[in-house]
Amino acid sequence: MLWHKAWLETRSRFLIGLAVVVIAGFGIMFDYRATEKLMPFARTIDPSTIDTSGPLGATIRSALEAQRDYRGFVWFQWFKQNLANLVTLFAALLGSGGLVSTAAGRGTLFTLSLPITRSRLVGVRAAVGLAELFALALVPSLLLPLCSPSIGQSYSVVDAVAHGLCVFVVGTVFFSLASLLSTEFADFWRPLLIVCLVAMVAAVVEYVPGISPYGLFRVMSGETYFRHAGLPWVGLLISAAMSATLLRAAALNLAHRDF
Amino acid sequence: MREPVAIEIAELRKTYDSMDALRGLNLQVPTGSIFGFLGRNGAGKTTTIKVLMGMTRPTSGAARVFGLACDAQDSSVSIRRRTGFVGEDKELYDYMTVEEIIRFTATFYRRWRPDLETRYLKSFELPPHVKTKALSRGARTKLALLLALCRSADLLVLDEPTAGLDPAVTEEVLQVLVSHVAGEEMTVFFSSHQIAEVDQIADRIAIIDRGQTLVAGALDDLRENYRRIQLVFGGDAPHATFQSRGAGRVRRKGRVLTVLSSAGSDAILEEARRLQPVSVDVMPVTLKEIFLESVAVED
Repeated sequence: MLWHKAWLETRSRFLIGLAVVVIAGFGIMFDYRATEKLMPFARTIDPSTIDTSGPLGATIRSALEAQRDYRGFVWFQWFKQNLANLVTLFAALLGSGGLVSTAAGRGTLFTLSLPITRSRLVGVRAAVGLAELFALALVPSLLLPLCSPSIGQSYSVVDAVAHGLCVFVVGTVFFSLASLLSTEFADFWRPLLIVCLVAMVAAVVEYVPGISPYGLFRVMSGETYFRHAGLPWVGLLISAAMSATLLRAAALNLAHRDF
Repeated sequence: MREPVAIEIAELRKTYDSMDALRGLNLQVPTGSIFGFLGRNGAGKTTTIKVLMGMTRPTSGAARVFGLACDAQDSSVSIRRRTGFVGEDKELYDYMTVEEIIRFTATFYRRWRPDLETRYLKSFELPPHVKTKALSRGARTKLALLLALCRSADLLVLDEPTAGLDPAVTEEVLQVLVSHVAGEEMTVFFSSHQIAEVDQIADRIAIIDRGQTLVAGALDDLRENYRRIQLVFGGDAPHATFQSRGAGRVRRKGRVLTVLSSAGSDAILEEARRLQPVSVDVMPVTLKEIFLESVAVED
């Protein structure tokens, strides 16, 4: 029943998130028709003529090169940008709140009076949150191969799963960080804002030469899979280890907290 | 097997930042008693209860329930498995209906009593399909009590169970509590600053103030042992102190000197007669007077 409680506490955030990512996913898919009309003009630009000495030029060139076909368009617009940003935001939203929250109607003392350990409370809440995050990353991604024929295109299920998994695994880092911060701060907003700030810093840092290949968002986009058909295993393993460490820290922090 | 002592607290201290909430509290709650835990606001009642329930860790000292340490995670879970709890805030899950929170709570207790659940749902007139956030404070208290009573708990810990309730609901809650305890073998430990309700249902009490126990014992013994001795003199009452065991605060007003004794009146009477008063009266003391005297002594 703890699962049910965790679900009731997070379901509105999850359902809003699911609606947003599904609508955004469809939006990107149907946007391809308009983009396709611009392709003849885009193809007249020779990427080699773009000055790539600065981050902006490199980004424009990368975008042009990637989006020459539907697969590249979906990867760049959806997995690299929209889905990554949305999952990061909803990971922070799903991880925020919880037992320490002083919001009215949370029944904190009632929960603590039940014969369960605090570790179990953290564990169940994390499991439900991660399952919701998994759905947010995978459901809209799997709708792409299903619905792309409606615009006369096709998209591989394997690609959708591979990219969705990358988004999910890195998204768990932001979820776990929000969970840890929520065992420290009694309000809902500070963990959320701090995680968003961390994500923004992580995104900006990726423009620093030399850091980009190891950046969280590069791993999240599954760029190595897109370009070389190989999953970024090291990045995914590091992200998973970071998530596990953050969740363990959350459980330890909660275990020692006074209410 | 039932332990002779349900709750045992020894030299319990709790410090929040630089504030001492508990300063060496000592307490024993015998199994089967209805124990009233009295104290002013901020005396340390809620902190003590939170330590017992494993919600707060003591800074030092020991708190044991059923012989199990409250600050160890595993034993705390075992304690909570045998304990019903109603918190001061009466906060439940706003997003659950009455029926949902009952079903949710029942899953944690193997000895959950569906018969009591049905009985109290009916007698408390709780609407099963209404969300708990829509309930009045009185109804929420009744629901919290139902969730505590149906656990077949060996110990009931109630933190200010009637706080904020109107007199009619207060009376109803107390009556349910008394009749429930009469039919079940259990210990009740409840905090309050409402002396009348403690007087009404408790058989043992402790009065605490500023994190320390001032008075503890069986209510009948306290009533028996506490006496107010009033001495009237021909002129102004003399400045006097009493050395006898149990002698408490001495009050002097004009010709009258009163002293409160917690150990009967004989020894103090013998001392008092040496002061040659015109008259001596020995009067029984109410729990309210014991409380006020105890707390005032600290001032």
